[in-house]
Amino acid sequence: MTDYLPSLPTIVALVKIGLLIGGLMTAAAYLVLVERWMAAWVQDRKGPNRVGIPLTKVRLFGLGQPLADGLKIILKEDFTPKHVDKVLYTAAPLVILAASLAIFAAIPFGSSLPPIPALGLAGEEPLLVAPGLDVGVLWVFALSSIAVYGVLLGGWASNNKYGFLGGLRSSAQLVAYEIPLGLGLLGVVLAAGSLKLDTIMNAQASTGVWYAFAQPLGFIVFLVAAFAEAARLPFDLPEAEQELVGGYHTEYSGIKLLLFLVAEFLHMVTAAFLIVIMFLGGWHLWGVTGSGPVETWTVALLRFAVLSAKILGVILFFMLVRWSWPRFRFDQLMNLAWKVMLPLGLVNLVTVAAIEEFRPQLVAAVGEGAAKTAAIAIPWVVFFVGWIAAGMLTPSGTDNTPIRTHGPLDIEHELVEV
Amino acid sequence: MIAVALPSPGVLLAGAVTAAAVSLWLLLPRGRDSRPARWLGGLLGAAALAGFVLTGRRLGGLGEEAVFLIVSLVAVISGAATIVSRSPVYSAIWFALALAGVSGVLLVLGAQFLGVATIVVYAGAILVMFLFVLMLAQPAGLAPYDRVSNEPLLSAIAGATLLGLLTLSIGRLSADPSCCQMPSKAAAMAAGTAGTSVDAAHAGDAIDAAIATDPLAADQVARLGGELFGRHLLAVEAAGVLLLVALVGSIAVVSRHGDPSGELAPARRAAS
Repeated sequence: MTDYLPSLPTIVALVKIGLLIGGLMTAAAYLVLVERWMAAWVQDRKGPNRVGIPLTKVRLFGLGQPLADGLKIILKEDFTPKHVDKVLYTAAPLVILAASLAIFAAIPFGSSLPPIPALGLAGEEPLLVAPGLDVGVLWVFALSSIAVYGVLLGGWASNNKYGFLGGLRSSAQLVAYEIPLGLGLLGVVLAAGSLKLDTIMNAQASTGVWYAFAQPLGFIVFLVAAFAEAARLPFDLPEAEQELVGGYHTEYSGIKLLLFLVAEFLHMVTAAFLIVIMFLGGWHLWGVTGSGPVETWTVALLRFAVLSAKILGVILFFMLVRWSWPRFRFDQLMNLAWKVMLPLGLVNLVTVAAIEEFRPQLVAAVGEGAAKTAAIAIPWVVFFVGWIAAGMLTPSGTDNTPIRTHGPLDIEHELVEV
Repeated sequence: MIAVALPSPGVLLAGAVTAAAVSLWLLLPRGRDSRPARWLGGLLGAAALAGFVLTGRRLGGLGEEAVFLIVSLVAVISGAATIVSRSPVYSAIWFALALAGVSGVLLVLGAQFLGVATIVVYAGAILVMFLFVLMLAQPAGLAPYDRVSNEPLLSAIAGATLLGLLTLSIGRLSADPSCCQMPSKAAAMAAGTAGTSVDAAHAGDAIDAAIATDPLAADQVARLGGELFGRHLLAVEAAGVLLLVALVGSIAVVSRHGDPSGELAPARRAAS
């Protein structure tokens, strides 16, 4: 009889998956509300503040809004235009949502739980769906590159000029920014010596130096690339409303559109998770969470709360940037990726590699404390030098001056030719 | 129980190879399409696949793992669909699915890094570039000779024969008990802790082998990296230099053809 029951690890994994997906979906719904509040605050409006508990007059600051939004979009007609490629048109939103949810298999959403003998959990239980995966960072990378297919196929299957342009733009943008993203990430992997995200967090907690302080250049490169990968403003060219109507999801409506929008939000949440875990210390906060193994429930919950608060902070930053920056032009976007972020990422990688290589000699020469200070000071010097160099050598096109493709003589020449 | 009713592995394999060849020949895109032929091809293909699976079972090369069977079937079927699709975009999508299947096989076999790297490099970068180009070239604009397969008969026969020979040789190899015996982790651990009579170095080797085959061993990537940058350092560096030379060469070729008033003007503008 007991043979038919799933084993304990399976049950634990299923519970984690359930909690994660439920939590993420709810969070995505409420983050939309937060984003609308943020938009209203920036534009000096009131924002959504009416919908509260249904069938009563209780407003509750508009906290019922996500429910109403969801009901509205689900009950809308799921219209499939005649001119689309039906198979791919249906598959695209499924691909993108499945990929962006599967990413979270390798992302820890807390530190770990203390042993629970009553349930048969003898050891610490990591808050991570796939704790055995040795290639966590690469898994995240692989699945976020699968998500490109959703955008590309959605754009192509729609058989619509705007959708197609959006798909093309996004594929070029996502492929280009994967390189600075990878370079920023390599520095962290090099310093932590592991591809596992929980090991990276533990490494920051045990030294107390978050990688944002130890690798400022890598942090900036990764942050910018993460914005671009999540296609958030100022990098939202795939669906620039003023130019492309809705970009790759122009032809979509109803539940399929909802899947696209949720996947987009999940990309932002993923980016926030990665930024916090890799550069902002994960669940670690000096003097609050400790850095050793989890012994009590208080510590476990405290670490979970710290991680969640940091992630919320980064998401709020994403939203604030959205209302503060104008969109890049496409050539500026590409110049920024290839001529600014790529060299800066390489400089960061070389700096980190050199420091890690010569750390033992440094410790032997000047002692533990001074070596630690130097290992933070040198990257900051490199950061300022690199930043100024990038600023002075800025390739034309990353600033906002109009492009002069033709000198006056060229134009005359072309006019004559025409 | 199945073994009683079935013909010998050799006959089974010959049948599967024939069915695969005929089915590929029927399915490969040619100028005119007939629906019954494609249906027949699909049925024959399914029969051939079942034949190969049964042969593998009989030869002892195919285990019982359901996950392995599923991912490898996904890889094979989408691989076939890649070459028989009529639309280039669908071909690319099927190819992506085949890569996902291969990556699944690698993950089941315990090669985590290779499995994930397959997705990152092929599905994530190279195939997206393919799609990019295919979508720019609308299928309607393709010449007819781009949409049919050259020599469908010869290629079908060659492919099916290769498949049969590979099945035979791999099946023979894995049926041979002296070769490719992967020690189970428990056995290796038992050997390692058996006591003083066991040669310590041998036990260490057994544990190493167990780690190499365990999908969730802790230091997969570290071991692979040590191997690549230790024993195979020269090959890795040579491959890196080769890629760099190819990159520089392609840029040189493109820019030499660049005419100031030609198509390359935007690229030059961005560079200046």
